[in-house]
Amino acid sequence: MKCFVACLMLVGFAWLDAPYDPAPHLTAIAKSGPQGEGSATAKLARDELAKQGVDILPPLLVAMDTSNAVAANWYRTVYEEIVARELKRAETKWPIEFFKEYASDAKRVGKPRRLVLTLLDKLDPAFRDQWLPTRLDDAEFRYEAVGLALAAGDQAVKNKDDATAKAEFRKAFEAARDSTQVTQAAAKLKSLGEAADAVSHLGLVVDWWLVGPFDAPQKTGFATVFEPESKVDLEAKYRGQGGAEIAWKRHREADTLGQLDLNKQLGATREAVGYAYTEIEVPREQAAQVRCGADDNCSVWLNGQKVFGRDQWLNGTRFDRFITPIQLKAGRNTLLVKICQGPQHKDPEVPNNWSLQLRLCDADGRGIVFQSRLTEKTGSEK
Amino acid sequence: MKHHILRSFSLVFVSVLFSSADNCSAENWPGWRGPNRNGVTTDTGVPTTWSASENVLWKMPLPGIGTSNPVVWGDKVLVTASEGRDQGELHVIAFDRDTGRERWHQRLWGTAPTLFYGRSGMASPSPVTDGKRLFAFFGTGDVFCFDLDGGLLWQRAIAEEYGPFENRFAAASSPLLFEDKLIVQCDHYGASYVIALDQQTGANRWKSDRPEVWLSWSSPQLVPSGDRVELVLSGSEKLDGYDPRTGSRLWTVRGLARECVPTPVIGHGMLFVVSGPNGTHFAIKPGGSGDITDSHVVWKNDKGTSFVPSAILAGERYYLADDKGIGSCMDARTGKLIWKKRFGDKFTASPVSADGKLFFTNESGSTLVLDATQASYEEVARNDIGEEVYASPAISQGKFFLRTATNLVCIGKKERNAVQSAE
Repeated sequence: MKCFVACLMLVGFAWLDAPYDPAPHLTAIAKSGPQGEGSATAKLARDELAKQGVDILPPLLVAMDTSNAVAANWYRTVYEEIVARELKRAETKWPIEFFKEYASDAKRVGKPRRLVLTLLDKLDPAFRDQWLPTRLDDAEFRYEAVGLALAAGDQAVKNKDDATAKAEFRKAFEAARDSTQVTQAAAKLKSLGEAADAVSHLGLVVDWWLVGPFDAPQKTGFATVFEPESKVDLEAKYRGQGGAEIAWKRHREADTLGQLDLNKQLGATREAVGYAYTEIEVPREQAAQVRCGADDNCSVWLNGQKVFGRDQWLNGTRFDRFITPIQLKAGRNTLLVKICQGPQHKDPEVPNNWSLQLRLCDADGRGIVFQSRLTEKTGSEK
Repeated sequence: MKHHILRSFSLVFVSVLFSSADNCSAENWPGWRGPNRNGVTTDTGVPTTWSASENVLWKMPLPGIGTSNPVVWGDKVLVTASEGRDQGELHVIAFDRDTGRERWHQRLWGTAPTLFYGRSGMASPSPVTDGKRLFAFFGTGDVFCFDLDGGLLWQRAIAEEYGPFENRFAAASSPLLFEDKLIVQCDHYGASYVIALDQQTGANRWKSDRPEVWLSWSSPQLVPSGDRVELVLSGSEKLDGYDPRTGSRLWTVRGLARECVPTPVIGHGMLFVVSGPNGTHFAIKPGGSGDITDSHVVWKNDKGTSFVPSAILAGERYYLADDKGIGSCMDARTGKLIWKKRFGDKFTASPVSADGKLFFTNESGSTLVLDATQASYEEVARNDIGEEVYASPAISQGKFFLRTATNLVCIGKKERNAVQSAE
């Protein structure tokens, strides 16, 4: 009997000592989603999780590596509560090595990695300075890493160490995806006599045939189909705004970021439509993105298929405003872009912009390698 | 039915006006522009003079940026902010009303940060509370509901559910409470809509698409009209009236600016709507159906309209400071200009009023105090807090709360309180 009771006590103590398993609560939170669904369950689960110590931070951080924005914030409330509490305790044994591996894992979602890096600033203050410059190929931390490389280059210039400066600026240029950092790095390289082509780096399309203005009263231009949408014939003449004869003209844009000013190229006007056409060649079939912005709006056809169009007005041309996935075929590809110009804003002080910016890049924002095929009048199809 | 509707409407406001966790007799400031979303409170004992050191009860640094106004309920002052390169790090903070001590602080991620204005980030919309829950909407397209102890109750990533907001200054519309619903105006370059969420669960109660609408930053307003309550939305060259219970559109007034920021105010049985710059002031009788532009506009005035600051109605007079610092006062019933004055500097904050005074705070942090009981321009004081201010102030329980570019400052008449600062 004594033995039986002892066994029961052992089982009982073992049960009492059983480590907390956060999995059921983490799973409950993972089910939260749109329409506030799962909130009540998620709240109960997060309250239980938040009672735990730093032992649950690794599985919690793994769970935070999610595309579920709602669940991620529930997890974050747990993380913040545990971290705030444990930072006040001197004896806390933090899983620092896990934190470093987690922060360094570029395949994970960026936000929780950044959260962990902020905690590491407290737990290992030297870590960030030695780690961040290595993150040039890390989408989450690239911007900071490129900034450090640019700063290192600037310091080298001050030290009259051109070799180091060139190396740092080149490193920054190759890694940069942000258009401001790309142009900054290119300018710094050029100031040291080095070549750097920001246009190619970003995949900006600057070589065009242009035609317009077609007449499009008020905001009818977006829906009105003009001849180039049916067939691109670079030899054709069209009836343009005010009855004027218009024809395709070749234009290579010199703007640093490839922004076309159609008021300059096609004439300052209102309530009109212009078209830009180009042909590019790529060595292989590939997935890519067309990233564009236009004032007032644009529509894009790739190899005769409409891939983008947004009926908006008075938008402003902003870099990478619209991003559309495309599939380029090996060899020659055609791009036709329609750019609408609406009525003048009723406030005459509002600029009457008419512009386009378009680039072709990979999902990471690096320009794809292509060659312009516009050496002569080649257009013959939509 | 009529009585039921009006009673419900009244209850919303009465509860907001007079409820308080600690039964204080003074008013709370429960959301954007205070108890009635018009900048006016019945609160008394508010100081009329201060400086960077005089009558400052406490000052606390804020994380990041924001132009949402502080919300005061009972012994808590609640503020939102955002920070980070894309302003996607969101903060909701509760300070102790009397000491400035941080009571709780929630840090959350925004789903879809947009382009933003460098002074406001993703924290332009003011939060709102019913005394039990706090609802915070951010420019990232996220809505969070907390209990007043800071516990997260539910959240909606509406930018993920209905598409990212396309907004060059980030969404700025402050949500409102109606009955058991939280109503959020989501006008942007993409697919615009107005949505009513269940306060208890966050689920949709209704969603009304606004396909003809583009970008605006104005906040919704509620107005009693005959036997119904109307939800009023300003934006895209028009003002729309909706049924706040169903989201169905009732009427439209044409003639507003393309992009609207100010929030309409109500009084004398009318709606007062301004948009600009170079726009028009409208006084409108609510009610009707369809296009009521020709039938319900009582007066119009195209002088001195603002782009950002909202107007304020104090008794018989309607006041406004435009963005460039030109102040004007009109007869609310006729729209006739009573006086016009250069206040000085630029204005982003909207005016507030208490105790027969009007408070206009400019971007340099100087608050002009006017006597609202006089028809003529009567300056009471000019108080410089010594820091830039872009957020509208809050008044509650005898204190004036100024959110500067970097701090939350509590101004009050010093009695037992000593100056406290975390700096």
